[in-house]
Amino acid sequence: MIAASLNSAFGRAGLLLMLAASIVGGLSIVFGIWQNDRRLLRQAPRYAWLALAGSVLAAVMMQRALITRDFSLAYVQQVGSADTPVLYNFAAMWSALEGSILLWGLTLAGFTAAVAWRFRRRSNDELVAWALFVMFVVTAFFAMLSFGPADAFAAGAPNVFEGPGPNPLLQNHILVLFHPPILYLGYVGFTVPFAFAIAALITGRLGEGWLAETRRWALFSWSFLSIGILLGGWWSYEVLGWSGVWAWDPVENASLLPWLTGTAYIHSVLVQERRGMLRVWNLSLLISTFALTILGTFLTRSGVINSVHAFGDGPVGSWLLGAFVVIMIVSLGLIFWRGDRLRSPGSIDSPISREGAFLANNVLFTVFAFIVLLGTVFPLLVEALQDRRTVVGAPYFDRLTMPIGIVMLFLMAIAPVLPWRKASQELLSTRLFWPGWCGVGAIVFSVLVGADGWAPIIAFGLGGFAAGAALRQIVLATRRQGWRGFVGRANGGMVVHLGVILIAVALAASNSFTHSATLELRDGDVVEWGGHTFALESVTVDINAAESERALKANVLLDGEQVYRPAITTYLNQGITVGTPSVRTGLAKDVYLTLEPGAEPGGDVAVIRVFIKPMILWLWIGGLIMAVGTLLAAFPGQRQRKAVDPVSAPVGGSGPPDDDAVDESAAGTKDSTDGRPRVEVGARSTRTGEGSGEL
Amino acid sequence: MSGRSALNRRVKSWPGWVLMVVIAIAFVVVGSTRSSGPQTPEDRVDEITQRIACPVCDGESVFESQNNSSRSIRNRVEQLVRDNELEDQEIVDEIVNAFGGDLLLVPKASGLDALVWLLPAMGLVIGVSGLAVAFRRWRLEAAGTAEATAADRALVEAALADDPDEP
Repeated sequence: MIAASLNSAFGRAGLLLMLAASIVGGLSIVFGIWQNDRRLLRQAPRYAWLALAGSVLAAVMMQRALITRDFSLAYVQQVGSADTPVLYNFAAMWSALEGSILLWGLTLAGFTAAVAWRFRRRSNDELVAWALFVMFVVTAFFAMLSFGPADAFAAGAPNVFEGPGPNPLLQNHILVLFHPPILYLGYVGFTVPFAFAIAALITGRLGEGWLAETRRWALFSWSFLSIGILLGGWWSYEVLGWSGVWAWDPVENASLLPWLTGTAYIHSVLVQERRGMLRVWNLSLLISTFALTILGTFLTRSGVINSVHAFGDGPVGSWLLGAFVVIMIVSLGLIFWRGDRLRSPGSIDSPISREGAFLANNVLFTVFAFIVLLGTVFPLLVEALQDRRTVVGAPYFDRLTMPIGIVMLFLMAIAPVLPWRKASQELLSTRLFWPGWCGVGAIVFSVLVGADGWAPIIAFGLGGFAAGAALRQIVLATRRQGWRGFVGRANGGMVVHLGVILIAVALAASNSFTHSATLELRDGDVVEWGGHTFALESVTVDINAAESERALKANVLLDGEQVYRPAITTYLNQGITVGTPSVRTGLAKDVYLTLEPGAEPGGDVAVIRVFIKPMILWLWIGGLIMAVGTLLAAFPGQRQRKAVDPVSAPVGGSGPPDDDAVDESAAGTKDSTDGRPRVEVGARSTRTGEGSGEL
Repeated sequence: MSGRSALNRRVKSWPGWVLMVVIAIAFVVVGSTRSSGPQTPEDRVDEITQRIACPVCDGESVFESQNNSSRSIRNRVEQLVRDNELEDQEIVDEIVNAFGGDLLLVPKASGLDALVWLLPAMGLVIGVSGLAVAFRRWRLEAAGTAEATAADRALVEAALADDPDEP
């Protein structure tokens, strides 16, 4: 009982501290600005630390409750069990609604404290103060959720001394430990650029200063969101037994939506930094990204949409929907209010330019996001209007998004070689020549190794084309700058592109050329299929020490080399049976084995399904390259030139500029005092050539 | 160095591009026309079951789902594929008729469901048209032939009003 009261009391105390610190911190900023009291503004960051301390205390108390199996708490009754292994017991905190909101709050408080620390010497700056205010408001909202509709420390039913543990699917793979927290780092991280966007609207400092402040925060969040999504695909592949990585499930879609708008943003923001244009558009993308994280959480945590890994159907949904509405109203209201300062004086000279490519990229990403959103909520719409059930599944999303993906690959090939402002035909034919041959090489290679069907071959060709363009940029940059040619936003961005291309090619290959068979294996026989041999050694049953899991395993010798053990695992406490695949991973292809029902322990027959899936490993390698590329992109490039203001006026008749190798990170921008970019007619940042060689 | 540049330019001239395009088209045509479809009956079953919703699950396809309802549908599809009398779409129709309910994972293009196809197409058209309009406006502005807006006129009037030389 003492433990129970401690966990609940200290957990709630932590949440109360988080809530109170956020509210007082926010009020301190508002009064500080209102009264022009710098002392109040300077002390605001301290409340961020207090809020973080409160959220850490709450999380620690929840972990303590799970470790000590404190069944006085309703949440532990729901997800706790004496039989859950230590690591999965740790991850049980985010295996249901209340704990996942607690993790969200912890991450958010962490980001708020990080912002307070990063800008500790500028707490007097109104832009920073308002951004911190927005962070406090969002933190307070999630603290309130944890107190009320998603109360993680609510008392449970009396005399309960055992629970079922987390969903069995959430306690049989190590990725459960990493996938949700990393995804949350991405989700929640976008709160920071959103907060600065709102602060810029409130203060009217709508130049490019706030973009420069939040550049790395957005990149960091995008990177974690990307890695989190990929880890989710990896988990699905290794655990769910259907051999796929992406099912267009509503929860998956909810994570993809902010990624799509976030990706559009990190591209289009370059146009604003460079040219002072697209201000409203960039603000809209950031606001959409943040709002979509809230909408996605509403869709998957309110019970309005069913999904295999959605949970929660309580009042939390109406709170999240309310937050979404408030975010939209406030944001749109602020944009309307600041409309006069958001007009950009410049123009984009030609569609065949870096800016033109970014705009096309943005249209594609926005339409992609719209398709995903529409397909996800369409069943709700039909149910509301016609009271009937409808399902929008993977074939719909595949059909509509595949052409967009192909055009995106084409843009990835073209955009890196395009200069800002305008490109001539001669310049394009010169710069695209070797990338073009890379694309042709990819087509020839894929056909020679047996690829068929126009769509995957085109995808491979465009992948090669885009990879050639990215490599061209890296080669030119490294020739000129040595190892520093890998760092900076332009060069690191090309490394990210290489990762994305690998993922796209791997997806095209695995979706188009997966083959499967159902094989009946008898003890002593060797079955050949797909260039592999399969021999059943035995059918065994493993029961874990806690007697909570019973795994029926077929021990299959693959190619006479190694035994793989596809299983059917029954979680005895929950009465749930799950197929557990066994996978041989290779550079060229995976052999994915699952066990079909019907095998008997000690028997000499087992029916297995075999999937041969090409290039799956390259999905994860591509993700790793994306992560490395993002880190490289976050480093400043070599040439720290004098900062220039965005160029917003057309260049007069000087011909097409030739600066595609310029590292945009060096083209720094400063706010002018009135929040508008100074117009430099004909001004350009340092012009660089194409490097020491020709490619 | 200049010799190298000249060679580089010659290599990248139009014959090089023509050769590139010819090779690319030739190999795409070869690869596309030899498309053999599903290699095994199971591949065909997989393709068909990916288009059918599990009747009792939360948004999963029969291909993904492992419950008994999905297994029975999969068994029926396997049977129909073994019989080899029906096309894929006919098998899907047969399953939908036999098992009832709304089992199609691809919405129809009629009635309210048509919106799920129309709206993305409209979105793309609006996006592309918006870009076209914006580029046209920018081009006219750059050429100095764009019509003066009300804001432009107000700016000129204000400037004239502030001009100290104005009598």
